Amino acid sequence: MPNVRVLRDLKARHGVNANEILRRAYLYVARNQTLPPQVRFQAQLQLNTFGRYTRPTTVKNRCTETGKGRGIISEFGLSRYQFRLKALANELPGVRKASW
Amino acid sequence: MAAVAPSRLAALSRLRCEIFQTAYNPTSVRTGAKYLRARLRGPSMINYYPEQLTVPRFNHMAGNFKIQHWDEYQRLADVEEKKRRGKGVPKKAKSPAESRRQSRKR
Repeated sequence: MPNVRVLRDLKARHGVNANEILRRAYLYVARNQTLPPQVRFQAQLQLNTFGRYTRPTTVKNRCTETGKGRGIISEFGLSRYQFRLKALANELPGVRKASW
Repeated sequence: MAAVAPSRLAALSRLRCEIFQTAYNPTSVRTGAKYLRARLRGPSMINYYPEQLTVPRFNHMAGNFKIQHWDEYQRLADVEEKKRRGKGVPKKAKSPAESRRQSRKR
């Protein structure tokens, strides 16, 4: 069962996915210097009306095993301790403990 | 070597844009094109967490065949037990005056 922070992150992910195209359109208008300033300003105001869970920056890659938010090894999506556990259990293909 | 006239250079870059099908933008005005050009990130964002099969999801999928959700059963039983001993969730405040927030020490 994912913890509440993972659920919140999932909510953000689905919100971003649902609103992405509309947000991009507004971003295009707001950042386009060839358009009249009034139109750009209106687009910026529209952008500000989007909720918190529609911005891509709200999304954080958390540990897929434990939901921890820090120390994530992004290639595996695991926190550093889960990475170690899984690597030692030979569950990560191509990962071995260094020895020389 | 003779210097090339600026107008000739501009014509060259316009021709280059035509050939390679890029937008001719000599003054580097921000057109916002990068927001349209960038790939959509949403579809890959949803698939970050691997899908996990839980009891409610299984029951939702299975149709007639249901399995008992023992953890939920235990949780509800514990809640009932707590209520019976008077350790349940406090009642929802009807007005701000009833709220425990007011009486809490700062």
